Amino acid sequence: MAQEALPQTNGASIDIRALEKRFGNVRAVDDVSLTIEAGEFVALLGPSGSGKSTVLMSIAGFERPTAGKIIIDGVDCTTLPPHKRNIGMVFQHYTLFPHLSVADNVAFPLKMRGVSRSERRRQAEAALETVRLAGYGDRMPKQLSGGQQQRVALARAIVYRPRVLLMDEPLSALDKNLREEMQLEIKRLHSELGLTVVFVTHDQGEALTMADRIAILKAGKLQQVSPARELYERPSNLFAAGFIGEMNMLPVEWDGQRARLVQGEEIVLPDQAAITPVTPGRAVLAVRPERLSYARAGTAGTWAATVRDVVYAGAGTLLITSLADGTEVRLRIPSAGQEPVSPGDAIGLTCPPEAMLLYPQEAA
Amino acid sequence: MAAPGFLEADGRNMSRATVLMLMAPFFALVIFAFLYPLANLLSISVLEPQPTLEHYQRVAENPVYARVLFRTLQIALLVSLLSLALSLPVAVLMASSRGPKAIFLTACILLPFWSSVLVRTAAWAILLQRNGIINQTLQFIGITDEPVRLLYTQGAVVVAMTHVLMPFMVLPIYGALRNIPADYSRAAAICGAGPLRTFWEVTLPLAMPGIIGGFILAFLTALGYFITPALLGSPQEMMIATLISQQMRENLDWPFAAALVGVLTLIVTVITLAFSKVFRFERMLGGRV
Repeated sequence: MAQEALPQTNGASIDIRALEKRFGNVRAVDDVSLTIEAGEFVALLGPSGSGKSTVLMSIAGFERPTAGKIIIDGVDCTTLPPHKRNIGMVFQHYTLFPHLSVADNVAFPLKMRGVSRSERRRQAEAALETVRLAGYGDRMPKQLSGGQQQRVALARAIVYRPRVLLMDEPLSALDKNLREEMQLEIKRLHSELGLTVVFVTHDQGEALTMADRIAILKAGKLQQVSPARELYERPSNLFAAGFIGEMNMLPVEWDGQRARLVQGEEIVLPDQAAITPVTPGRAVLAVRPERLSYARAGTAGTWAATVRDVVYAGAGTLLITSLADGTEVRLRIPSAGQEPVSPGDAIGLTCPPEAMLLYPQEAA
Repeated sequence: MAAPGFLEADGRNMSRATVLMLMAPFFALVIFAFLYPLANLLSISVLEPQPTLEHYQRVAENPVYARVLFRTLQIALLVSLLSLALSLPVAVLMASSRGPKAIFLTACILLPFWSSVLVRTAAWAILLQRNGIINQTLQFIGITDEPVRLLYTQGAVVVAMTHVLMPFMVLPIYGALRNIPADYSRAAAICGAGPLRTFWEVTLPLAMPGIIGGFILAFLTALGYFITPALLGSPQEMMIATLISQQMRENLDWPFAAALVGVLTLIVTVITLAFSKVFRFERMLGGRV
């Protein structure tokens, strides 16, 4: 690469164009296009086998796409081998070289770039300081805890100031407390260094807290790319709706203005309830459990339901109810200040109109 | 060397009795068929005809024996180095192959095990003999006018022993290479290391336990090797195992042969301890890196 005109700490943009990767007959990645802005933090989220890792490995250069292009900072990198891409990467299992000290691990990318020994030491120590591990350079990786090892891996990935940082489920091997601490650490590094981060995870909480935008994949196809709030409040399809958080899905008959539940109640929906146009006929009404509340049975405008189970969990209570046709509806309500109910009670469910989303019935 | 708590089977939920039971047959064999005869032989070397060190004195005083020992060490080292040079590429290829190719390569390496060492040695005798295919080819392309002496030379011994010992070297190296998670070379690549650099800086150091293990295995086996040197070697340039056998069977000088065994055992022990001091043994036997 030529001399950089921009300061190196600025991120690079990544343009994924119609990416496709086939393994035999399986399309692991199917026509994925995604433009990532310079300095953006994007999470690739999806169940296992959704192709999220394959997308990441294609950006890194470990997978050669069957079709499509990977363009980093305007340069077509589709066929460039990984060692020439100047990308930083953190792997799931730390992958610190066990035969090298912490300092030598961090200095490894610098050594590959022909940086002098003394300069390597200095920069490696500085990178270790960035991840709050100053003074650990002389230890061997094995002598560090999992969280510390992952921080060393992070230091190794940023020491040569790459403009793109890829992370492949980097926190999945850590326990919960450590994971939350590392999430903040990575967020801090991202804003400090201003690099572009692409982060693969199957943990939606992680994606929601960390990323500027979240890309949801299913079976190799991109489902939605949105900021966290939009993804949670207005998921663009049923898969995204069900994948992020909890969602009640009620089968309804849609006539263009009103949705009719199987048991009879008719609900007038505001225009914005449908994210994509829904043709009249069978449809799905989606409501988050925390947006529902309940009233005495028979109250006007409520949906008749029967309490099946009450799960008390401190601040909140989970109410599992069912409609007459057996459809399960979950409510997450504050524990305090509610009229107590018990299994078998008949109640009426209510929901503010803006919390209701309407989706076309999908073929299973 | 037994670590503290050796019999507790380090947390694998085996009772001490189970551990003892699992070890018993092997240890019985080692004691009965190895330690007991060896102790017997070594006692002969210092107790017959009466308590004496004269046999060891003979080994030390006559330069012929020192020369045989030195030659044996030299040949064993050369054979091990040659095996290493041939084994490393094969092991790398095997470790990076999958499916039918991997099966084919493994079969090629294991095939020699299906025939006896004697057969393989005899095969070399056929190849190397006066009118063998090698001599015929050399004459045909005009490198020599008359047959060259290939059989009954040190060269023949080195070549044939390398052939016999190679699988012992390939398998531990292959095992070590297979144990290296693919993510390490990926990590090296994304750090900017090309394929050769990755091999040199990461793969080779991580495979070192297997390489050292294979090397020691081949070297120690070569030190005491008998059949190949006896059949293909030059009688003027004997190796230690041939010498020991000669003393036992032709000269019927058991005490002196036993003294030679004592010296060889001492050398092997010293080398093994020296290696295990530098490289920890448990890592050689496929311990996770």
